[in-house]
Amino acid sequence: MSDLVLGISAFYHDSAAALVADGVPVAAAQEERFSRKRHDSSFPSQAVTYCLDEAGVSFDDISAVAYYEDPRLKFRRVMATFAGAAPTAFPFFRAALPSWLSADGKRHTDQTVRRELQALGRGRVPRVSVRRHHESHAASAFFPSPYESAAVLCVDGVGEWATTTLWHGRGTTLEAVAELRFPHSLGMLYSAFTYFCGFKVDSGEYKLMGLAPYGRPRYADLIRDTLIDVKPDGTFRLDMRFFEYLRGQTMTGRGFERLFGGPRRMPEGQLTEREFDLAASVQEVTEEVMLKLARTARERTGESKLCLAGGVALNCVANGKITDAGIFDEIWIQPAAGDAGGALGAAQAVAMERGASRDHLGTGRDAMSGSLLGPAYDDDEIAAYLTANGIPHRRLDDEELVKQVAAGLADGKIVGWFQGRMEFGPRALGARSILGDPRDPAMQSAMNLKIKFRESFRPFAPAVLAEDAKDYFDLRQESPYMLLVARVAAAQQLEAPESGVSGLDLLRVRRSTIPAVTHVDYSARVQTVDEHSNPRYHHLLGAFKARTGCPVLVNTSFNVRGEPIVRTPHDAYTCFMRTNIDMLALGGFLLDKSEQPAWTEKSDWREEIPLD
Amino acid sequence: MRALLLFLFYYLVVTPAGLLARLVRDPLSRRRNPDAATYWIPSEKS
Repeated sequence: MSDLVLGISAFYHDSAAALVADGVPVAAAQEERFSRKRHDSSFPSQAVTYCLDEAGVSFDDISAVAYYEDPRLKFRRVMATFAGAAPTAFPFFRAALPSWLSADGKRHTDQTVRRELQALGRGRVPRVSVRRHHESHAASAFFPSPYESAAVLCVDGVGEWATTTLWHGRGTTLEAVAELRFPHSLGMLYSAFTYFCGFKVDSGEYKLMGLAPYGRPRYADLIRDTLIDVKPDGTFRLDMRFFEYLRGQTMTGRGFERLFGGPRRMPEGQLTEREFDLAASVQEVTEEVMLKLARTARERTGESKLCLAGGVALNCVANGKITDAGIFDEIWIQPAAGDAGGALGAAQAVAMERGASRDHLGTGRDAMSGSLLGPAYDDDEIAAYLTANGIPHRRLDDEELVKQVAAGLADGKIVGWFQGRMEFGPRALGARSILGDPRDPAMQSAMNLKIKFRESFRPFAPAVLAEDAKDYFDLRQESPYMLLVARVAAAQQLEAPESGVSGLDLLRVRRSTIPAVTHVDYSARVQTVDEHSNPRYHHLLGAFKARTGCPVLVNTSFNVRGEPIVRTPHDAYTCFMRTNIDMLALGGFLLDKSEQPAWTEKSDWREEIPLD
Repeated sequence: MRALLLFLFYYLVVTPAGLLARLVRDPLSRRRNPDAATYWIPSEKS
């Protein structure tokens, strides 16, 4: 029997569980998909149960449990922060200290984890070992990567002390090279601007990145001169007089207001040129720092491959700049680069110490199975659900399903696509996706406002047949996890009359043959789809190409704003009926909106989902 | 009661300790160092 290690991340945001067998990820999921609470930070009981069920094991079969950060080291950092920020941090101190000091408090999280696992009643729980937060990130970036050796860079907000770490990965070992420590954090800098622009910290960073191309980086010099001191090697210190996070729960205060012309934008308030320009400015500075750090990583390790993880590695625009700069021959980014991926990394770090090997290296592929590591529902389960609820449907063979969906998409229909195992990580990759025709100039606005019920400025991402990617995007390498931004190829670009157009009006300009996925700066967050990792999705893209000549689809996550991505057929059907999605492909079944009975709910569901 | 204890602990212990620490060194490395070539901290070998 395989040597099994269970990894857990919990209690901050994006709790998750992951199971590795002889070092290979076999199951992984975020708790939010089960609890239906976005970024759920509670103990991932349901995700753990799923991992055990997927492998058909109990705790008696598991060799070790790994927790993704070191609670005692984190406690020392929190205490040092209290002392360092004195005498101005009493409200924060009063709110936070009791949760650390109590007998079952956060200092003993490893024991809490063991207790919670024991309470699941699935056998005797083995010892819980703790790994450092950045070691968990680094392990998740390197061990599943397709590289025998590589430089590894982890950049995030903060775990214990480290905020930026450089590692040298070789075989089954990871050597720590150097680090930067709290409070100096690129993730925190980005989050401060996210907060100041009226978005939520730890989730709205993505919106800020999407907003950046609408603005001009006119504050970038001010940021460089006042907020961050960057050395030529990319290492940096922040000027803490301008940030509030040492003192409490908010990110910015009067210092920021003085620098950037007045109070922060309130959530859901009007977006103005200032927010566009702030987003563009902090994005530019972030890219500069990441490029410098990447060059340093290459010099210090001598490696030609780079692995990335940590929340900042979800900044796919910065990732695209690193690949475009040609600093490395190739880069690989952990698809669950945020804290959820820490569960996987912690488990892999322990597994490697226990003697696991990296057998996937011979295949030239990574060990993530396309990040399709979540629960699947087979056609029997889906049929039982549809029949029990009297839901009109048609059962089709693979060929016919793909043909009819491709025909619907070509007719401008929006399709819910629910197939196989759910994705691990924040992006939908063709297992729980909403798809549309990228050639339709009205599609971006329609999908934002009528399907996702979210802000009109937010861009959509293309999925493209891997073999045709070069015809459509200036992409130097494959991008299976939608974590690289590339320019739309010149051959697809159209001449756009842009003089006098600015801000959100830029959205109305048609810039390419695939306008729905071309951002205002001609960039696109590309997913390349190959036959190996997701055959049916690849088949669908091929069928759409056969019908239209276009090997690209709009791909967005299967959810509405503020809601976690759907997990079950029921979640998918509910989302389908609540929105203007026209067709739903549930495994081998096709559902047409026009054939469905009227949908009624007792209350307004939109009020029950908190805005993200 | 707990709030009072926390208050006393914060202003009588944490604050003096923190201020004292900042007189002798820079515990959160808040000061910029224009002369340094890098801010890297070499990782501890485990």
